[in-house]
Amino acid sequence: MSAMAQQVKDFLTVSAPFDSLSDDQQQKLCKGASLLYLTQDNISDVTGAHKGRVFLIQNGQFSVKDSSDSERHLSEGDFFGYPAVMDNTRYPLTVSVDKPGLVFSFTAEAFAHTLSIPDVNAFFENSRQNALQNQALAASNSMWLYKALADVIDNAPVTAIESTSIQQAASVMTEQRVSSLLITSDNKLSGIVTDRDLRSRVVASGIDVDLPVSEIMTANPARIANNRTMFDAMALMSEKNIHHLPVVDRVSREPIGMLTASDIIRHQRGNVLFIIGELAKAESLYELTRLSWQLPHYFAAHAKRAGDFDIAGKVLSQATDIMTRKLIRFYQRDHGDAPMGYCWLVYGSQAREDQTMGSDQDNGLLLERKPDEAQAAWFADMADYVCQGLGKCGIKLCDGNIMASNPDLRLALDDAIEEARGWVNAPTSEAIMHFNIFLDVRGVAGDLGLFRQLQQARAPLLKQKMFLAALARHNNEVPVPLSMFQKFVYQKGHSKKDCIDLKVHAIAIINNIIRIYALANEVMVPSTPARLANMPANSGLSTRDGQNLRDIWLFLNRLRWRHQLTQNVTDNLVSVSELSSIEKHQLKAAFKAIERSQQAAVMAFSGGMG
Amino acid sequence: MPVSDISFLAIDLELTSLDVTTSQITSAGWVSGRAGDIDLDSAYYQVVKTSSSLEQSPVIHGLTADTVAQGCHVSDVLDALMPFAGTHIWVFHNARLDTGVLDKALRENGRSLDNIVVLDTLKYAVYQLEKQHQVLPPNSATLTVCRQRLGLPLAPAHNALDDALATLQLWFAQYYTYNGGTKNVTIDDFLSIHVAKCKKMGKKS
Repeated sequence: MSAMAQQVKDFLTVSAPFDSLSDDQQQKLCKGASLLYLTQDNISDVTGAHKGRVFLIQNGQFSVKDSSDSERHLSEGDFFGYPAVMDNTRYPLTVSVDKPGLVFSFTAEAFAHTLSIPDVNAFFENSRQNALQNQALAASNSMWLYKALADVIDNAPVTAIESTSIQQAASVMTEQRVSSLLITSDNKLSGIVTDRDLRSRVVASGIDVDLPVSEIMTANPARIANNRTMFDAMALMSEKNIHHLPVVDRVSREPIGMLTASDIIRHQRGNVLFIIGELAKAESLYELTRLSWQLPHYFAAHAKRAGDFDIAGKVLSQATDIMTRKLIRFYQRDHGDAPMGYCWLVYGSQAREDQTMGSDQDNGLLLERKPDEAQAAWFADMADYVCQGLGKCGIKLCDGNIMASNPDLRLALDDAIEEARGWVNAPTSEAIMHFNIFLDVRGVAGDLGLFRQLQQARAPLLKQKMFLAALARHNNEVPVPLSMFQKFVYQKGHSKKDCIDLKVHAIAIINNIIRIYALANEVMVPSTPARLANMPANSGLSTRDGQNLRDIWLFLNRLRWRHQLTQNVTDNLVSVSELSSIEKHQLKAAFKAIERSQQAAVMAFSGGMG
Repeated sequence: MPVSDISFLAIDLELTSLDVTTSQITSAGWVSGRAGDIDLDSAYYQVVKTSSSLEQSPVIHGLTADTVAQGCHVSDVLDALMPFAGTHIWVFHNARLDTGVLDKALRENGRSLDNIVVLDTLKYAVYQLEKQHQVLPPNSATLTVCRQRLGLPLAPAHNALDDALATLQLWFAQYYTYNGGTKNVTIDDFLSIHVAKCKKMGKKS
């Protein structure tokens, strides 16, 4: 058997999907393989001596046509030649060298063999469809089910020994505010007693409460070890039709806690949602800020899986909504009711419910009519209190002064409608940069009817063709961070050499695209996934493109949340070196898809005049 | 014979020291290719059992006394290498040291090789650099720097097989960069600029 050079191994180990291969599988893949230094001079070998093989580029840049699809510009980490093997068809292969470099050539047999590995097969199937792998997404909804019980059980077990009297047992349960009691003998679990047992076996049958509790306990109850999952516990509970399940240590078998049906409901609702419940109970600015400052810790501790990242932005936005409503209430408690109808509006990421830890506050006030001096002062004071309060709660003040504390953002309804007319009449690039943020808007507190009036008055204005055309052209001016040869283009002027601003160069572009379609179709909701879900059938955006954009949007959001939580930062500058090799591929595919949609929007709304 | 029809074998030896007279082989690696096409199945790597002190070798090559003690006899490596004598041009980066030690090992084991054509990528790099520089910048001809100059990726250094593979990639990159598009380049062109040499090695007959 021939030796395998470390550099070959190293390269395969960073090349999705081969990074998942075992040493043995790598050896098999490399059987009969070559490493080509490919230049214009020996390029004919690819179609000659290496005909029918599968190629993986280690470095250099090549333009390749290897299937019925159009020519692709490829570089480091890209594959070619595989469509022929997968389809068992001979596609004519044309390769031209843009920059010479090293290219692995694998035999068709060795490559076909790796396709029996499901992940590898899925990778190549998906590369062909240019689609993102979204299995993880489907799975994310049920992630909480796979939490280990050891992570779920946090309270010390409430136990009593067998000889405890029934009455004492009942008073322990009352003191500890639990609905069930673990009964032990020699520290081992021997039975359980529940509220229901006390009712049916004691009270209803008039038994002597001085008898030992072992008389009425359910002896030798069903139990589960702490290394099993919530899913296992639920399966067991429904099978046995019980609401209390003792959890025992995997090794010592000693009881360590009780899992109840209500525990499961709490987890089912989503762990991260818990904090919202707590916020809603706050009764003072002090309490509110104390709880708010726990939010980052809470996310860092509990958001671990893809599915958690998907809802994190929504949770954070809802938390901010609650803070806002609370602050308004605190203010009104001290200063009396508002002098007229108003609605507290939020813009940008809070409106779209995709806030991250770094998002600052963007808000404004909509007033029923023009206020007199005293009324204006009341609102100015309230806005100041709420914005400063949000700042204290950790929602940064807005650098661009897009806050209700800014008098320009406390408009009467008629003025707000007039303002929109101004946008539509002169949608210059500069103007779009200024008002883009106001196009994603949501009412959070006060008279939501007022906000609805504004939306209804504005909708026909904002769907005018010239206006949408300007938005589409403007959005086309931001490039996705990919070079002609599908290499990542990194942000300049940052200490990290390989970072990409996922917000500016990807997520914001999708938000813009979807916003344009939403305005065109008078879809009023501000969140990007919700806009997609509410898009009518004839919106101009195909269902498939819509689903694809939604998956990409979720994927990118997931990456930036993970970046912020694992790196403990609040920026959106994700380093490519933070990503696994499969994520790098997905990110490239995502950028390509975004670019296509950008261009499609220009075609659809401004007749192709980019 | 045009260079594109010739088979090349890039060889790297890891040694106990840089002194030809005392140095011994601790490991050997090679890999062959033709016309830019490197045959990964031909990759060979072998640790050699050596009697002398490892000196700095464990630090540089990561070979410890334990690994070396499990190695084969140097004659096994020579036996594996000799069949390539008539068929391949041997490529080294800095041939002087490696061929010197190889020569000594062949002599000590009673073997000889006639008419080996040895090509040195270091000499070729220096030849190209001297066209541009009066005095060469320091460290401008190490394997890593030469590779970088021609846009080859970073490779782990100081393992015999990896260095051999890196050397062969460098040779093909050099060949195509400096001779690309020209037909009928032969090995004589490299002999005439002293980048390649005919050598006799081993015991004198």
